[in-house]
Amino acid sequence: MSTKVVNELNQEVKGVSLWMDAWRRLRKNKMAMGGLVVMIIYAVISLSAGLLPIYSYKQQVLEHQYLPPSTRPAGELLIEKKVELLSAFAAKEGRELNAVELEEIEELKERIATETKVLLTGEEVKVHERVYYLGTDELGRDLLARIIYGGQVSIMIGLIGALASMIIGVVLGALSGYIGGAFDSLLMRFVDIMYSLPYMLLVIIMMSMFGKNIMNLFFALAIVSWLTVCRVVRGQIISLKNAEFVEAARASGAGTWRIVLRHLIPNTMSVIVVYTTLRVPSFIMLEAFLSFLGLGVQAPYASWGVLIHDGVYAMTTYPWMLWFPAIVMTLFLFSMNFFGDGLRDALDPQSKNKL
Amino acid sequence: MKKLIIAALLVMMIVPAFVFAGGQQEESTAVAAAEPVVFKYHNGAEPESLDPAVIEGVPEHSIYMALFEGLVTYDPESLDAIPGVAESWEVSDDGLTWTFYLRNNAVWSDGSAITAQQFVDSWLRFLAPETAAVYAYLPGMVIKGAAEYNAGEAGPEAVAIRALDDHTFQFDLTGPAPYVLGMLSHYAFAVVPLHTIEEFGDAWTRPGNIVSNGPFNLKSWTPQDKLIVEKSETYWDKDAVKLDEIVFYPIDDTNTATNMYLNGEIDLLTDTPPNQLDKMKLDDGYITNATFITYYYKVNQTKAPFNDARVRKALGMAIDRQELVDKVTRGGQFPAYGITPPLPGLYPAVVAFEEDFDEARALLAEAGYPNGEGFPETTILYNTSEGHKNIAQYVQQKWAEVLNIEVQIENQEWATYLDNMQHQNFDIARSGWQGDYVDPNTFLTDLLHSESGNNDGRYASAEFDALLAKAATMPGGQERLDVLAEAEQLAIGEDMGCIPFYYYNTANWIDLDEWGGWYPTVQDIHPWKAIYKK
Amino acid sequence: MSKFIIRRALGLIPTMLIIITVCFFLIRVAPGGPFSSEKKIPPQIMKNIEAKYHLDEPLVMQYGRYVVNVIRGDLGPSYKYKDYDVNYYIGEGLPKSLLLGTLSILLALILGMAAGMFSALRQNTWVDYTWMSFAVVGISVPTFVLGPILMFIFSINLKWLPVAGWLDEYGVAALVLPVVTLFYQYFATIARLSRASFLEAIRSDYVRTAKAKGLKTSYIMMKHVLKGASLPVVSYLGPAFSGIITGSIVVEQIFRVPGLGRHFVQSAFNRDYTMIMGTVIVYSLILVIMNFLVDVLYGYLDPRISYS
Repeated sequence: MSTKVVNELNQEVKGVSLWMDAWRRLRKNKMAMGGLVVMIIYAVISLSAGLLPIYSYKQQVLEHQYLPPSTRPAGELLIEKKVELLSAFAAKEGRELNAVELEEIEELKERIATETKVLLTGEEVKVHERVYYLGTDELGRDLLARIIYGGQVSIMIGLIGALASMIIGVVLGALSGYIGGAFDSLLMRFVDIMYSLPYMLLVIIMMSMFGKNIMNLFFALAIVSWLTVCRVVRGQIISLKNAEFVEAARASGAGTWRIVLRHLIPNTMSVIVVYTTLRVPSFIMLEAFLSFLGLGVQAPYASWGVLIHDGVYAMTTYPWMLWFPAIVMTLFLFSMNFFGDGLRDALDPQSKNKL
Repeated sequence: MKKLIIAALLVMMIVPAFVFAGGQQEESTAVAAAEPVVFKYHNGAEPESLDPAVIEGVPEHSIYMALFEGLVTYDPESLDAIPGVAESWEVSDDGLTWTFYLRNNAVWSDGSAITAQQFVDSWLRFLAPETAAVYAYLPGMVIKGAAEYNAGEAGPEAVAIRALDDHTFQFDLTGPAPYVLGMLSHYAFAVVPLHTIEEFGDAWTRPGNIVSNGPFNLKSWTPQDKLIVEKSETYWDKDAVKLDEIVFYPIDDTNTATNMYLNGEIDLLTDTPPNQLDKMKLDDGYITNATFITYYYKVNQTKAPFNDARVRKALGMAIDRQELVDKVTRGGQFPAYGITPPLPGLYPAVVAFEEDFDEARALLAEAGYPNGEGFPETTILYNTSEGHKNIAQYVQQKWAEVLNIEVQIENQEWATYLDNMQHQNFDIARSGWQGDYVDPNTFLTDLLHSESGNNDGRYASAEFDALLAKAATMPGGQERLDVLAEAEQLAIGEDMGCIPFYYYNTANWIDLDEWGGWYPTVQDIHPWKAIYKK
Repeated sequence: MSKFIIRRALGLIPTMLIIITVCFFLIRVAPGGPFSSEKKIPPQIMKNIEAKYHLDEPLVMQYGRYVVNVIRGDLGPSYKYKDYDVNYYIGEGLPKSLLLGTLSILLALILGMAAGMFSALRQNTWVDYTWMSFAVVGISVPTFVLGPILMFIFSINLKWLPVAGWLDEYGVAALVLPVVTLFYQYFATIARLSRASFLEAIRSDYVRTAKAKGLKTSYIMMKHVLKGASLPVVSYLGPAFSGIITGSIVVEQIFRVPGLGRHFVQSAFNRDYTMIMGTVIVYSLILVIMNFLVDVLYGYLDPRISYS
């Protein structure tokens, strides 16, 4: 890296110190660093999901369906539920629990203490000793495991989608804005056309032609996501391209690519960073929509988007099915946005003196 | 700066003002609506049309029952045919010729009389090839000459229907079909106001143009919002009609519909999201009863290993249907071990096989996959829906547990899913079938006959086809039903031509302390004429 | 400038033609057709149906017929909802979607720009963090979650507002929840975008010069900053405004708004070819016009922009 500094021109040396400066400033920004730490924790947890001491995301234990979050084993909750139900029944008739019911409870207790089940992994366990910290879903699966595994695909899709759309959108938008003329006209009309195509049918056709696979999914995400970025960046570039520093660069003989990459894009960076972090949740949700069409992750695997989607209507009945995935995702998005803001501030050369 | 702050403050003030104004508005409409008896109905999807010759779905049918009436109509409890426009009828000794006597006081909502000739013309319009009525096959099945005219092979004169005089209508059947009377309540046998159709063309069903003869007239129709009918003053039995208005709401979102029901914005709810079912089952208005629909998996027998009956049987036996309906679907459905739902008083459900996990494993081993080893990659296909997804996931785990085979599950949107099924582009696919009429034939022949267009799994058994052919030549009665039961035992019990899961039941939420005249019925049809406010 | 506007306006026509042509052929490639159903329609009856809607003709002939009709302003009959034609559905639905969307966007624009400005002026203070957290929640919570939550709180629990319905039944109250639900997403994006560009504009040379001259902050903000800083928001508004039709799909479904939005999804699921084409034409027309206006607006907002 340091050899590069020597090799490059005056500007480049300044560039490196800018990055160093940026890092120094970023470290001082508590919100941004907090965001970074949380993001790293998320990444580590979802990448090591297979190694963590959690249950399988797809193991159903139907008897455990809709159990609320708890630190106690499922068996205890089941007994409690049973006692509650029978007591309510007895209370309705204005009496204490009778012998038959007490017997029933005793039987359940005994069964829960001894019953085993062979899991999909082949091991036989005392199934009612399972503990569901975040509750279970409609098929008695561990929500904690489903959220952790769901994070893998959602984080990846959110970040890759946002980055891909940013790269395509920024490069095309900047070129379009800077070159202008017929190139700009044609590209912008192409953008209009892409906006107008019925996206859902496009996805359906793609699937029927190329089948469903992860590449197809990314392609479906990338195909329309860059359009708005492109228009926003183009607008910024058009306003900047006659600025003095661009004129100066042009006068000193810099080429199109150089001006665009070295001068124009860095000066629109703050809008780009903010808009890119803004896009991440929409990609996570777009994946849920594509799952609806059959593209995207396939059940029993579920992304955050799908978990939230399936949890919405459980809001009043089994609220944990909505709130836990939603909170986990929102926390991630929060950290990312604060990190993004911090990054923006840190990269902003003019705020150098402020911190 | 100041201006902006003021603008922002203004906006913040406007929003609560909206809320306030809204609250008042709601109160005033509630008071105004208290007088006429209005029934608000969750009608599923937006009606595709009001023209009886064009419609084909359930939402359209419930509107049809309000606006139109054929020769006969439904008894609200039994759904048997009761007099409609015809006040009486008779059938010839050979059972082939039916004569209907129309009542004198049956008129259109514009006051003009309903004549026997109008029935002839309406039925011919329905059958005309250019009308392109989807349900044209229904009269085609029973009325002499109808199928030929609809196919363009004969002229309208070939259809054996006639007006003997203004009030006497007659038709001939292709063969004795005692169930034809029940069919006549269907919109495929409607009478339509031809004078209005001539006047307005395709626009005849719009509010202002439409003329109808049922207990209600169309008052207004805002697509995607609501359709309102009001009590007809010209209906022959108007004193029996107790509702002043019915509002049909098309509601796609079942959560919204449930909330509207809970909030008193609709009086009858017909569906709720799976995750709210347990709560909604405790609602006092919950009513459920058996209906003629079977949930089953199609198995594609054009490819290995599913062309091996042992594999299909192994798959079918390796499921705990009682657990499925108790824990997964939870709507009080009935486990199915045959394809035809029990038809009360006619045909008890056939128990064609038993769930036996050991035998399932043995069959799979016999077929060459001991302990599931070497079983090819298999996918269960379903159309996107939370309910289907849960069932598929349950089946996936059960087959893994019992048979040690790993299957994938895959969802597709409706049209793609249909397309793939029609082209045998699947391994195993979920499906459901509602009988068109009350007879095992509508399940056995339609789903499993080797030449049936609905037999997407391509089950083909000469023996089974022969049994069906034999039954078709027999007169109605227990002997014929025994042959059909034998056929069902063969197709499901021996061959597992498809894998049945459960028989559906209906779900409705209505406050029967408030509303009378509404009964749970096997076909989930509830005539409007009978409903009243207590 | 006027030359640019004329040239740019003329460019809309071929764009629309290309969109119509590509879409027309594209949607026919999708598996399934408008009349496929679970119960197989007998082949003879299917033939009758296809003949009725000219679907048995060669595709090129169907295309020619369609384009001629569109030029005459006739978008054809809906294959699904047979009593009305596509023109009628658009005439009924579009104003409602526009009302919903315009209200939401206007609110979002005013509040979002204000939030962005305050946050930028008080960067990294609690004001900034509060507004931005509010905005991040807005982009993190999708409409299909926010809608039911608001409905649960305000309609089921508090009973202040109707669950679902439209103006004719519930008056302005019917608008509150759909508008708020739709508004939040736009607000979040606009607030975040404008905060970033305000920050940039505040530090630009001309603002520093103005400050050095001793001008009042509010004056500087209104006179100089607002114009320059609104550029990215304006770029975003082009697609966003046309998106109010497609973007309101979920909201229209949840709150039963009889708008055009849900036809977008529903017609595609139904393979209702004419309805798909109709909605695409309306949407793209709004889009190209909005993007056209945005391009013109650039010149007004930033004098440095020239299209010579």
